[in-house]
Amino acid sequence: MSSIGTGVEYAAKAVDNSGTAIGLRVKDGIVLAVEKLLQSKLLVPISNRLIQTVDTHIGVATAGLLADGRHIINRARDEAESFRNNYRIQIPGKVIADRVGQYVQAYTLYSSVRPFGSSAIIGAVDNEGPQLYMIEPSGVYWGYYGCAIGKGKQVAKTEIEKLNLSELCVRDAVNAAAKIIYTVHDDSKDKAFELELSWITNETKRHEFVPREIAEEAERLAKDSLNEEMEDD
Amino acid sequence: MVTRLEQPRGGFNFDNFQRNVSLEQKGIRIPKPIKTGTTIAAIIYKDGVCLGADTRATSGPIVADKNCAKIHYLAPNIYCCGAGTAADTEFTTALISSQLELHRLTTGRQTRLSTARSMLCQMLFKYQGHVSAALIIGGYDVNGPNLYSVMPHGSVDNVPFMTMGSGSLAAMAVFERSWRKDLERQEAIDLVKDAIDAGIFNDLGSGSNVDINVIEKDKVDIYRNYYKPNERAPKEKVYKFKRGTTPILKESIKDILVITEGVEAMDIS
Amino acid sequence: MKPGEVNLGTSLMAVTFKGGIVIGADTRTTSGPYIVNRVTDKLTPIHDRIFACRSGSAADTQAIADIVRLYSEMYSVNFGEDPTIRTAAALFHDICYQNKNALSAGIIVAGWDKYEGGSVYCIPLGGSLHKQPFATAGSGSTYVYGYCDKNFRENMTQQEAVDFVKNGIALSISRDGSSGGCIRIATITEAGVDKIFIPGDQVPTFWNKS
Repeated sequence: MSSIGTGVEYAAKAVDNSGTAIGLRVKDGIVLAVEKLLQSKLLVPISNRLIQTVDTHIGVATAGLLADGRHIINRARDEAESFRNNYRIQIPGKVIADRVGQYVQAYTLYSSVRPFGSSAIIGAVDNEGPQLYMIEPSGVYWGYYGCAIGKGKQVAKTEIEKLNLSELCVRDAVNAAAKIIYTVHDDSKDKAFELELSWITNETKRHEFVPREIAEEAERLAKDSLNEEMEDD
Repeated sequence: MVTRLEQPRGGFNFDNFQRNVSLEQKGIRIPKPIKTGTTIAAIIYKDGVCLGADTRATSGPIVADKNCAKIHYLAPNIYCCGAGTAADTEFTTALISSQLELHRLTTGRQTRLSTARSMLCQMLFKYQGHVSAALIIGGYDVNGPNLYSVMPHGSVDNVPFMTMGSGSLAAMAVFERSWRKDLERQEAIDLVKDAIDAGIFNDLGSGSNVDINVIEKDKVDIYRNYYKPNERAPKEKVYKFKRGTTPILKESIKDILVITEGVEAMDIS
Repeated sequence: MKPGEVNLGTSLMAVTFKGGIVIGADTRTTSGPYIVNRVTDKLTPIHDRIFACRSGSAADTQAIADIVRLYSEMYSVNFGEDPTIRTAAALFHDICYQNKNALSAGIIVAGWDKYEGGSVYCIPLGGSLHKQPFATAGSGSTYVYGYCDKNFRENMTQQEAVDFVKNGIALSISRDGSSGGCIRIATITEAGVDKIFIPGDQVPTFWNKS
């Protein structure tokens, strides 16, 4: 389908040129991983997060224009808060996906605003279990078992398809996600990057960054397996 | 000097409130609204509902109207008895009936009692009891015959028989004595008539005649002044003067001459 | 209470038991000394498995219940899931607290949902919200606090819970002048709602048997 130039196509381009972000929905939770490309060596590590917590049980990873991603996350936080205030329960994953999706879509409608140059991967664990959604700049969103956006999305998607997501546990999914981000990253073409890893487990129902030891272990495994593949070639 | 006429904007205006308070403090009597010290009653019977009302309207100790109508139209299949301030019952029912008619025209369906009920009680609740209308809504819709009573503050009851107004205690006594489930039509009419009658004769605020309204499926019968227990009896003696009581002492007839003077044309040369 | 306003001088009880909740109420509605309705239903349905028990002003509580019923209906339409008792109670709480100066409403919200099972929430006059294993409300409640504290046990059977409520309301009716008439009881479990009506001549009596 072609468009008469709402600007959504250019917005999608902005996402396609950014670092890769992936989300995995597995047996007992959600894992989000982002390849954060570093613009400068002077940046403080762990600052400028691309994955953020929206509510205790919701994490969002963004790719594309940084500031637009922040704006989407702020809106998601407002929606989560207002739902909590109205109904005194946590907002279900599909509801926040719908609310944010409608908000993003509204920015494609008017001449005074431009669409968001960002896509968002929303991970949540609610009463229904783990939920994963991805919102595009046009406002459309789908529910996924696994999804990828950004530069390396094609490679990432083929890698995700190889995983047996319904059998995988969160702990293994962290390693898998780290490996995918390292596989996707092109050392020769791209700048240095920082790996952001977060998870929500069915057990705690809390979105949190993967503890440092586990994340470092995952990164080490990812690097090792890449080196092995290099040696095999 | 140029004066600008400002178009009044919508909404309420309380400008006169302060003035009225100070006038009242200076001893000026504020006019009282007519309150229909009333007996209204209604029951559900086998095939429909029967509404009844007395016909007295009072203003303080004065009977303002000896034969007023207190059963109001809401929809072709719904009628409503009103007690409280006459103007309030009259205008709230008129307002809601017009809204119901528009609702019927947009939906193309028969009005339901629950719709009328909700609109009335939401309006009365909005005015927090300042619109003093106590209503009994009766009618027949897709759910069969039904009866609701709505209090001035906006509370609703759904019951098989109900009385309201100052004569409600007398009327309720009659209902509590004789009401049965699934009465026949004529039994129902007689019972409501008796209840109103009790109100008319035992309550000072109620009096004159009994109006009855019977609503069945696709059929409404309005019996205005169904029963008249207070007909004025013919006078035992006639106080009219017979023709010729006043004697003619003299008679004179004069011819009157009418003279019309012509109008002279004005000199405009 | 404003002059001439219709009052639910009331006895209300709500109890959680093993599989759900039992709620009960008397059936008297008064306006001053006059009983406006002697067979009132103060157990008002809010959703499939959520009920509100109303005490205070009839007009206020009916208006609030109507609004919350609308919100609950919209909730299940929008989110494809029944609202929880917690959510329904929150909706009542917001209205009762924000309009506390204009309302006289004491409400018990009770029901069953798939996450928490049976639950009972109490919203007294000031508009606070309390989750309780059992609750009493209304003018008649003061007379049966002792009875409830002595006889309530957690995880009763359905029959025990019904009897507990039935006797509680009967005791409260017998002492409170503005409660009376019959007893209405409803049990809400996963299976649904079961309503019981106890006519005035079958209300339990105690030492003062007639």
